[in-house]
Amino acid sequence: MPVGVIKVARPAPTLAQRRPWLALLVGLWVATRHFFQSAFLFARGRQNFTVHFPEQRFLQPPAMRGMPVLVRMSNGKERCVACGLCEWACPTSCITIFPAETADGVERYPEVFDIDMSRCMFCGLCEEACPEEAIVMSRQVEIACYSRRGSLWHKEDLLVPRDQLQTRLDYLHRHYDA
Amino acid sequence: MHDDENQATPGEPSPLLRKVLARLGQQVLEHRAWRGDDRIHVDRRQIVEVCLALRDDPELCFDLLVDVTAVDYMGQPDGFRRPVEIWDRNRAMVRRGPLSRHQVAMPERGPLPRFAVVYHLLSTRFFHRLRLKCRVPEDDPTLPTVTTVWPGANWLERETYDLYGIRFQGHPDLRRIYLDESFVGHPLRKDYGKRDEQPVQPLHGPAANEPRRPH
Amino acid sequence: MPVGELHARPMRINFGPSHPATHGTVRIVLDLDGEKILNADVQVGYLHRGFEKECESGHYYQNIPYTDRLNYSSAMLNNVGYCLAVEKLFGIKTPPRCEFIRVIAGEIARITDHMLCVGAMGLELAAMTPFLYLLEGRELALDLLDALCGARITTNYIRVGGVWADLPEGFAPFCRERLDRIAGLVDDAHRMLTDNPIFRQRLEGTGYLPAEELIAYGVTGPLLRAGGVALDLRRVQPYLVYGELDFDVPVGEHSDNYDRYLVRLEEIRQSRRMVLQCLERIPDGPVNADDPRIRWPRKGKVFNRMEELIDQFKLVTEGDLAPAGEVYAAVEGANGEVGFYIVSDGSGRPYKCRCRAPSFSNMQPLARMITGRMLADIVPTFDLINMIGGECDR
Repeated sequence: MPVGVIKVARPAPTLAQRRPWLALLVGLWVATRHFFQSAFLFARGRQNFTVHFPEQRFLQPPAMRGMPVLVRMSNGKERCVACGLCEWACPTSCITIFPAETADGVERYPEVFDIDMSRCMFCGLCEEACPEEAIVMSRQVEIACYSRRGSLWHKEDLLVPRDQLQTRLDYLHRHYDA
Repeated sequence: MHDDENQATPGEPSPLLRKVLARLGQQVLEHRAWRGDDRIHVDRRQIVEVCLALRDDPELCFDLLVDVTAVDYMGQPDGFRRPVEIWDRNRAMVRRGPLSRHQVAMPERGPLPRFAVVYHLLSTRFFHRLRLKCRVPEDDPTLPTVTTVWPGANWLERETYDLYGIRFQGHPDLRRIYLDESFVGHPLRKDYGKRDEQPVQPLHGPAANEPRRPH
Repeated sequence: MPVGELHARPMRINFGPSHPATHGTVRIVLDLDGEKILNADVQVGYLHRGFEKECESGHYYQNIPYTDRLNYSSAMLNNVGYCLAVEKLFGIKTPPRCEFIRVIAGEIARITDHMLCVGAMGLELAAMTPFLYLLEGRELALDLLDALCGARITTNYIRVGGVWADLPEGFAPFCRERLDRIAGLVDDAHRMLTDNPIFRQRLEGTGYLPAEELIAYGVTGPLLRAGGVALDLRRVQPYLVYGELDFDVPVGEHSDNYDRYLVRLEEIRQSRRMVLQCLERIPDGPVNADDPRIRWPRKGKVFNRMEELIDQFKLVTEGDLAPAGEVYAAVEGANGEVGFYIVSDGSGRPYKCRCRAPSFSNMQPLARMITGRMLADIVPTFDLINMIGGECDR
């Protein structure tokens, strides 16, 4: 298909050029229209745009990538087997894992699993690399803290029960099992 | 790897390369077309003539200088025919290449000059592209400037000087562009460690005027 | 009045690095005679983060999030450019559905970038209301990107050989509805700005530089097109599926700020046309190239089968082993040609990854554009260059 080249039309100086108050009227008309549109929506109970944040939450799409968390299984243990793939895939090296063995000497588990949230950039590569669906991106984004030490999240803080992550897991299953 | 650039036979030059060869003749030391990119190597002493010829030839008309950068081929004596190691004094070893795993070695000095300065050209009339490379040795990293051909080379050459330490002779304003004037070294060289730090210069006191040195 | 008559000396002032009107961190050292600029020295580099050094130690897939941070107002286009360069290095052809998705995502990102540029320029010329409308429109477009990839700005959506996920359910009607609202908001901003006498006086004739000089400075993108040169890589070197789409390339003729503004506004409308056409024509099929060198195995198989598990481990830890060689691939970014020059030594990491940033080349003639003009002309000129600190300084 041929791609055309168009010249942007520079509008000829209109009446508004000579009578600046006409331009003022145009602006006022547009702004007033927006005001009444917003007021109408507000009266109908639907805000046009603004979300009053702590009380109202904006609608998050299923693809939402929040902070990475660890999946806690129904027996209270983490699903992670400390293989270290997320540590390897992380571009900013914000994950630290010290593996250990369980008492029966067969299974591995992470003795230490730290994520430095001050370096994490929520890219989701850890989730993509994980071969166990043990680390997933949650919908949690409110992770402000008062000190740098507070931005280091340990395993106990990161564990989230599996049923709370069901939205994300469903989303992943739809795409990963293709 | 059967399709990498070193093993691919040079083959027939592309139509554009044929025009360039007809125009430049012996000035082209080497040419290669790979993955649709045309590349020629020229001698660094002839770079200005070559650029002028490429810009002014009515069939080539490379009037837009897209990019100037450099590549540091430290310890790559013959291109990339074998896996090589890069020395990084902070991390001890950056593994390069699939074969070796744990050996630590300083790279050797190759027979080819260490740096290559790369120019990407585009013609706004014919919309074809050309990559121009010239090798620059380590002990004399100088090159004539092409700011006389394209004024836009000014900042790009300053950037190359800043990050690689290649001096462009005749450049009107060869200052560092990204880094501070007191920065020591050139960070994109392969022997500059990724995590090397330089001390912050004190603003006041007796040490304020001393040059900074990497530790 | 010439210098010296009133014993006046040229005054040297700093414009930036943190000035309300420089939304990228840039410093312009100005020599002023009254309000006239005698000499300008543009200094960039306040946001230099060592993108290229960082890329040399990351696998090909690990560098994709870093490209988000180059031009952070249209991150998707950088992702596309980087992935196209890596695919060119590997010699991979991506499936058609993937290419359509890339065009959709890239054009939405271009809309957000142009809206931010025009809106912020209006704001800095004291036109507050259109800024609010355009930012509202930008939020609507960012919601589309959010639905697509889960993040508004730092998308990390395009992968080598494909995209991270297919379009979400119900994306096409959502996208059409949002694009209609965006078009309405752009029209409102157009009504308020384009004909406004004050706005026109501040833009018409300022920042003028002839097209030949722009080319000599290596300028690309809307800045060059406003000078009448129809250099748009989507038109002259069609990549992805741009060759099949029906769109127009807007060019100006006066090469001044007003034409740059008009070109950007028109490009928003053309991008909307492209997205709507892509939504019509997008075929079904896979979204990832089926190439074992780069394709991470499907998760359902990783959980259950040994071979895919081994593949996953190999691909994550070793990266995608590229053939040795060097390529340059460029896409039309929001500000001009975004090119990536990748040198590979045959390992999983790029030996060198260079980003050709349009903002960097576009900033060079700024000193030429403003020298000899008024101090107040800097702001619209600088804003319509749309210098993005992350991209200019890398």
